[in-house]
Parts: sequence; C-alpha cells; structure tokens
Amino acid sequence: MTLHTPRLSDEDLLARMQSFHWWHSIALRPGVTTFGGKSELILAQEEEALLAPFNLTGRSVIDIGAWNGHFSFAAKRRGAGRVVATDSYIWNHPVWRGREAFDLARHELGLDIEALVVDPPQITGALGRFDVVLFLGVFYHLYDPLEVMARLCGITRQMLLIETHQDLTATAAPGMVFYPGDTLNQDATNWWGPNPALMLHLLLQLGFTRIFYRDHPTLGRTRGIYAAFMPETQTDLVHGFDANWLDLDVPGAIEGLLAA
Amino acid sequence: MSEAELRAAISSHRWLQSLRLGADLLTPGVKPEPEIAAEEAALLDPLNLAGAHLLEVGAANGAFSFAALRRGAARVLATDHLAWTLPGSDALSATQWAAHALDAGLETAALDPRELMADFGSFHVVLATACFERMFNPIQALRGMRSVTQRILLLETMQDGLSDARPVMMAQCQHLPIGGPDGTWVAGWAPNPPLITHLLHELGFDRILYRNHPLHGPARGLYAALLPEAPEGLLVGFGAPWISLTHP
Repeated sequence: MTLHTPRLSDEDLLARMQSFHWWHSIALRPGVTTFGGKSELILAQEEEALLAPFNLTGRSVIDIGAWNGHFSFAAKRRGAGRVVATDSYIWNHPVWRGREAFDLARHELGLDIEALVVDPPQITGALGRFDVVLFLGVFYHLYDPLEVMARLCGITRQMLLIETHQDLTATAAPGMVFYPGDTLNQDATNWWGPNPALMLHLLLQLGFTRIFYRDHPTLGRTRGIYAAFMPETQTDLVHGFDANWLDLDVPGAIEGLLAA
Repeated sequence: MSEAELRAAISSHRWLQSLRLGADLLTPGVKPEPEIAAEEAALLDPLNLAGAHLLEVGAANGAFSFAALRRGAARVLATDHLAWTLPGSDALSATQWAAHALDAGLETAALDPRELMADFGSFHVVLATACFERMFNPIQALRGMRSVTQRILLLETMQDGLSDARPVMMAQCQHLPIGGPDGTWVAGWAPNPPLITHLLHELGFDRILYRNHPLHGPARGLYAALLPEAPEGLLVGFGAPWISLTHP
C-alpha cells in the first residue's frame, strides 16, 4: 500500500516555499517557481553545458552537493536510471534547511530520486559505483579537496563531471590558491581555487584517462567545467562533447587554452 | 664486518641519501652528504635533542634520524611510506642495514602520515624533509603529523609560487630511484610560505618560524612550528636567519 501526501494548494505551496532559502530556481508547477539565488535561465545554461553532451538514458547518477536538487532532477528528466542526490552541509544547515526544500521540490516534481546525507570527506565505496558522478560547485568549498577527489574516483564507473571556481587561470603550471577566512567573496566556506592545469594533473593522477574542459557558459574562465573519463567508459558517452570543449589531456592543450 | 663486506653490502642497495658509515665509507645516495649536513645543521642545531622523542616522516634512508640519535635523542622512529612500500623498493632494508652498520638504536616503521592519529603516540619533535614534494595529499599528512606532535614540527620542502603574496601551492613531479628498476615518478606539491603558514596555523601551531634553505635559498624552505604548549625556551636557538612568520 502506498500512502500519498495530499497535494498542496498553490497558496499552501507558495507559503511552504517561502519558509525556505533557495539556491536553485525550480519550476514546481506552472507559475510556481522557487525563489533561488541562481536564476532559471542560468541553471538552464549550466544544465545545457553539463548534461547535453551525452545520453543519460538508463545510466546511474550520483549528485554530490545537490543543494535544492536541480541537477538531480535534470538528470532524471533526461532519462537517467538510478539517481541519488546527496548533500550534508546545506541539508543539515539550520538556516538553509536544504533537505526540507529538496524534499518539497522532489515531491512536487514527482521524480523517483533517492536522497542521502553524505559529507564528501566520508564518501566510501559503500555508496556503490555510478556511471556519472556530478561534483558541481563543491571542490572549492572543501578544506581538503584532494582527499575527496580520491574518494570520488572510487565511486565513478565512467564519468566525473566537475564544476568549480578557478584561479591562477593565466598560469600554465598546475597550482591552486588557498583562501583563508572569508577572503574569497566574503564566504568562509571557500577554501581553494585551482587552475585548469591543476585539475588536469589531479584527474590524471587519480586514473582518469580522458579529460575535457570548457569555460562556464555565463561566467567564463572564473569557473571551469571538467568531464573526466575512466578507461572503461563507453564510447558513446564521449562522442557528444563538441567544439565548446577542449580535449585537455593532449600535449599543448593547456598552452592552447591560455592562448584562447 | 670487513670493509670489503661493507662495501659489497652498500653496493647491493639503491640509496636515496649519502650516509657516512665510516671514514672512507659513504653510501652513493641521490642526496649528497654536504646537502644533508647543511639541512641537519639548519634544522637541528637550534634544538637540544637530549632525551627527546623524535618521529621522522619520509625518512628515506634515515639520515636525519641517525643525526637525531647522534644528538642525544632518547627515541627515534624513522618512517616512510612511498619509498619503503613501493614494490621493488629496497630503501627500508637499506635503512635497517645502515642502522645495523652504525650500531644505531633506530626504530623503523612503514607508514602513511595521512593515517597518523593521536593514539599512535606523541613525540616532542616531528620532522619531515622533502615534505610536500613527495605527497599527493600534504593537507591530510600535515593533519596526521600534527596529531602526534607534542611540541615542535620541523618541515623542509620544495617551494614555488614565491611571487604570489597569496597562499598557493603548485603541483609538480619528480623522478626517484625507488620502486622498479627504472625508478618512479612521484607527484607532489611545492607550496609558498604564506600557504604553509596558514595550513600550520589552522592546525593549531601558534608560533611559526621560517628560513630559506642553507644551500638552495628560497627554492626550498625550512619551517619550525610550535604548539602553544611548547616551552618558550625552545625558541632560543632559532636566531637569524630564522624569522618569525607569526610574530614579526
């Protein structure tokens, strides 16, 4: 027997929405969209950049740092099989109350998505392995991103998608900047700014064999997007990465990126 | 053991460090004896090690651990991870053989500093040379070393990003004669002094001293980081060229 939660009226839904702080602007019903710090338009552009290049049909996805769940929902809508949304900081935060907001959106959208509270430094192989791992807007929030990157490698069956703040982007040598206190954007949860050469170096060290890169669709090189593939990746996952993407793991790619 | 037997034993190992085992007996290490001597003087002369317990991380062939024993340390535990555990590497057996040849009461353990926790024990002095450049994750390794430091942490490392006033670390690789017959490329990091200062400060070290490498200048840096519970007297030996990064 399945127990259904009664459908909220539009007024009640609006009132419930307004009780949360939202980062993702998500259309829950026609004319009812959450008031996220990131607009629907920007999210649509990010989603197109991140998820359009490959076919998600039937593939398993885990979203590390799902926030309000936009990219988990997007993956499911694009045909993904199992989708697991995870978060810790935002979902446990007494002000952001991200898990409650996620649950409201998931319920309204009627999407079959699992939710797990997972702190990235605690990721283990017990989570299983996923065809696609989403790691969006998280790298630079970690005091120790190196440890988490190693753990992500252990749960990635085919592709790791990373979106991150960047720094030292005019430097060909791999490096990253540390931000003590709230020196980056007055936000004390920002710790590191890597450059593309550093991300390439880390991903190769961790065993990924092909790495594609593109600038953020609206913010340019201040943020970067990486698609990193394991050796056993199915070839159709790789073929859709078009001219917006640079094959980063070939000689001279970093120098070419700097010259672009 | 006759001198001929000693020479035969020396030549049967690959050496990371040049250790003097006798007046005319020097292991043919990648790191030359004068460089080791200069680093030993720079790092250990400021301290009185008599009776101290010292942990060395990344000991290679144990040159600095042997130096600590010569300087009166009561207990010295030399550890390494990569150089002592890579298949085909004989650096641990070379170190143990050197300890036997020197009649040094050196303890050895192959361990990853990322796995160090307080229940491992505590040491008055923790020492790590060639530190960041041979660690995939120096952030976690520093945390591990902090957990077993009772008073002072001594670091020596390659540096980079020196023209940037912000804390940065640059990734780099170096080839070492460990592992298989062709050696191994080891990935690590080269930080700048602001980064080391911040990382150590985040870990609770409240007095951080710095000097350039005695031979290589700012391309390599030496750090002495003291915990709040370390006695003020420990600072006495750290005169010029050491400078304080936390109390200018």
